[in-house]
Amino acid sequence: MKSIRTLKISISGVRGVIGDSLTPLLLNRFAQSFGTYVNSGLIVIGRDTRTSGEMVKHAVFAGLMSAGCRIVDLDICPVPTVQLMVRKLNAQGGIALTASHNPQEWNALKFIGSDGCFLNSYEAEELLDIYHQGEYTRVGSNAINEVQRNATAVRTHIDEILKHLGKLPGSRKRLRVVVDCCNGAGSVIAPALLEELGCEVTAINATPNGLFPRPPEPLPQNLAQLCQAVRESRADVGFAQDVDADRLAIVSNQGEAIGEEYSLVLATKYILSKKRGPVVANLSTTMALDDIARQFHCPIIRTKIGEVNVTEGMKKAGAVIGGEGNGGVIYPAINFARDSQVGMALVLHYLAESGRSLSALMRSVPRYYMVKSSLPCSSHKAQAILRMVKQAYSKDQIDLTDGIKIIRKDGWIHIRSSNTEPIVRVTVEARREALSKELAAEVMDRIGAV
Amino acid sequence: MKSLKISITGVRGIVGDTLTPELIINFSQAFGTYLDSGRVLVCRDTRPSGTMIRSAVLAGLIATGCEVIDLGVCPTPSMQLMIKKLGARGGISISAGHNPQEWNALKFVRDDGVYLNSLQGEELLDIFHQGEFTKAPWNGLHSVVENGHAIDNHIEVLKRNFNAEAISSRQLSIALDCCNGACSYLTPRLLEELGCRVVAINNNPQEQFPHDPNPTPRNMNQVAALVRASNAEIGFAHDADGERLGIVTKNGDPLSEEMTLAISTQIQLERMVGAVVTNLSTTRSIDDIAEAYGAPVVRTPIGQPYISEAVIEHGAVIGGEGSGGVTLPKIQFSHDSAAAMLNILEYLATSGETISQLASRIPAYSMVKRNLQLPPNIIFASLQRMRAYAEKRLKRTTVDFTDGIKISWKDRWVHVRASNTESMIRIIAEAKDQAKAHELVDWAQYHLRKAL
Repeated sequence: MKSIRTLKISISGVRGVIGDSLTPLLLNRFAQSFGTYVNSGLIVIGRDTRTSGEMVKHAVFAGLMSAGCRIVDLDICPVPTVQLMVRKLNAQGGIALTASHNPQEWNALKFIGSDGCFLNSYEAEELLDIYHQGEYTRVGSNAINEVQRNATAVRTHIDEILKHLGKLPGSRKRLRVVVDCCNGAGSVIAPALLEELGCEVTAINATPNGLFPRPPEPLPQNLAQLCQAVRESRADVGFAQDVDADRLAIVSNQGEAIGEEYSLVLATKYILSKKRGPVVANLSTTMALDDIARQFHCPIIRTKIGEVNVTEGMKKAGAVIGGEGNGGVIYPAINFARDSQVGMALVLHYLAESGRSLSALMRSVPRYYMVKSSLPCSSHKAQAILRMVKQAYSKDQIDLTDGIKIIRKDGWIHIRSSNTEPIVRVTVEARREALSKELAAEVMDRIGAV
Repeated sequence: MKSLKISITGVRGIVGDTLTPELIINFSQAFGTYLDSGRVLVCRDTRPSGTMIRSAVLAGLIATGCEVIDLGVCPTPSMQLMIKKLGARGGISISAGHNPQEWNALKFVRDDGVYLNSLQGEELLDIFHQGEFTKAPWNGLHSVVENGHAIDNHIEVLKRNFNAEAISSRQLSIALDCCNGACSYLTPRLLEELGCRVVAINNNPQEQFPHDPNPTPRNMNQVAALVRASNAEIGFAHDADGERLGIVTKNGDPLSEEMTLAISTQIQLERMVGAVVTNLSTTRSIDDIAEAYGAPVVRTPIGQPYISEAVIEHGAVIGGEGSGGVTLPKIQFSHDSAAAMLNILEYLATSGETISQLASRIPAYSMVKRNLQLPPNIIFASLQRMRAYAEKRLKRTTVDFTDGIKISWKDRWVHVRASNTESMIRIIAEAKDQAKAHELVDWAQYHLRKAL
């Protein structure tokens, strides 16, 4: 039974625990399925720093080669670097080997299409059909290609950011930055990028060894070390990445973790001040973003949870910026992916060009209080909960795009089943802390009664 | 007919057909489980599929918690020498040896550098079939270490164990065909370092095999022409992973693959008398040579592990097979074509004899080999009937059932057995002349077919 509980095959990829459910055979078959799905061709592979990365990589290589793919191996690099390189190399697709915010015993495959975006739910289903069918393309000896190692991807990624945003404007004093890479993939790019932007950089947890010094999710409670480092070095800002360097959290010059929701808020405010256009975010992202969009008279579009849903929404709307409240900033001019590198560059430009401190910038954006909770439960029970909630809040404005979102003037409640774990997620946000706690308690009480 | 063959010589099949990455991953996990994790060496020959198989092997071994050292492309005997040096628990050689390019295989080596024997191979198969492999947790996984010293080490060991000075002083001119295999990295360099004048062909490991890699006369036309064109003292041909050796004389005549062991045995016994180990299908010349020196001959079933173990058990001075594989125990207990080559060169250098003179001293027999392609379900039955016939009717002959059926008369023999590597019966006969040998093969084939 144990192995069934740790394996999760979903729209977000194939996720499991090493030494348990995520076996080399399973990984190899998925790689063969993907090679069959993309009909051979060029595939870009990158991985985070997890200790299992090398095993996962070779299982994937063998599967892709057997299906006749040509492989470009970026080895350790952020997921957004893989996504960027898929487009730069005109590849047929890519696979990122990372379990993003999961603990170190986990790993996963995330499948990327030729547009550099993750497979959407329809594409992921097609891939699963091939996997289950079990008939994979197998080429003969002479059609097997040696893996090509590409060591310049990080360089390309940095160049791309510098090309679009440039170095920070010169001033009397360079911005002092502390970055916490969680010993993840960001270690190989973030310190260098920050230097090249023109910052004075202190990097902590920047050894890419896959031994996580803190829980990898960049939530305020996990950033004590960074906050302290910012205070001690009197830095202007602190940045925290997750292990695959797609999510970004910010620590203010006062050493306060401002909350991962505000990474996208600050980036959006900076971009809209330069160029107006639609903003796209998922349903669980802070309503501060609506206020910013309104301030610039820009439309905001809400999508289902999941990076690919946001990027598809952005393409449809022609968005100038978008992302997710969990720290995922997507700036399509550079990369159609959640990219903490791009996020850092945007926030630094904002700081440098405004000449104000991060705390001062935060005072100029609306603050809300968010409560995120979750409840382990079966999918059957999850449905019952959603039915009940729909009835209980029938008088409110309701959005059924992804689970149920109850929208009020001074706050909102969003209840949905997770894509990656057998849990129901409940997110509540309100202008006042007391109100958000009150709303959360109320909805949790009702759910508990089911 | 399906190409997969799992036997004492490893797991062998055609890539794109039966030799799938899943199968390789499972066998590698089984081997990692069998070894109880620990240090494992991996090497491969130059087949284009080697890179895919390598990744599958690494994934399987890493997952079982093995500490993998990847030696890259090198001959199998180079890897076998590294096993003890690096204190490894075992090794996997990714090579289908003498099989054509579209084939590949895993060959499993144990901690003394010798292939798994049949009992150990069975244990491994049991683990494979059971399908319950060791699963190392995330903090029990080891990074692969790349080690590029296997060939350096092999060259160093060979130079130390043969009379390098004598070979150097003669500046022998040598024609070489590496079949674009793993020896492309080893022998041209080794011979040049020994002061030989080397004319090498097919020594580009990036290229396809120019011909079937089995070093038998029909695959040695190119190197034979090269010997004549370059006035070389001798010509050598390698298989893809450096186990088998073929010889071309100074006149440009390719010698039968049986002669490689016969010549090596002659040289070895002249130097030191001791037991000689070979398999049942190898030429009777070996017995004649051994008899002349009063040395005992030990005959084993077919398969390199049997030779290795018998060489160890009997403290033999040489072992080998009629296929061109020679084991020189002073180097290692496995076939090593580079060692066999130096053994011959050392003799030519110190004796002043030519290879043709040496070959002419070997008692001549004619051997005929024929393969009977049969579906796997027929092979056993037809061998059984033949066995029954031999037991009942052949009273005045010696019949040996060690491996298949070997029937020997005073001046001739015929051996029929199931192949270890393909679905077929091999018939081998040897007699004083070609016609008699053919007769024997026809006779055996008649009885095998009659059984159907």
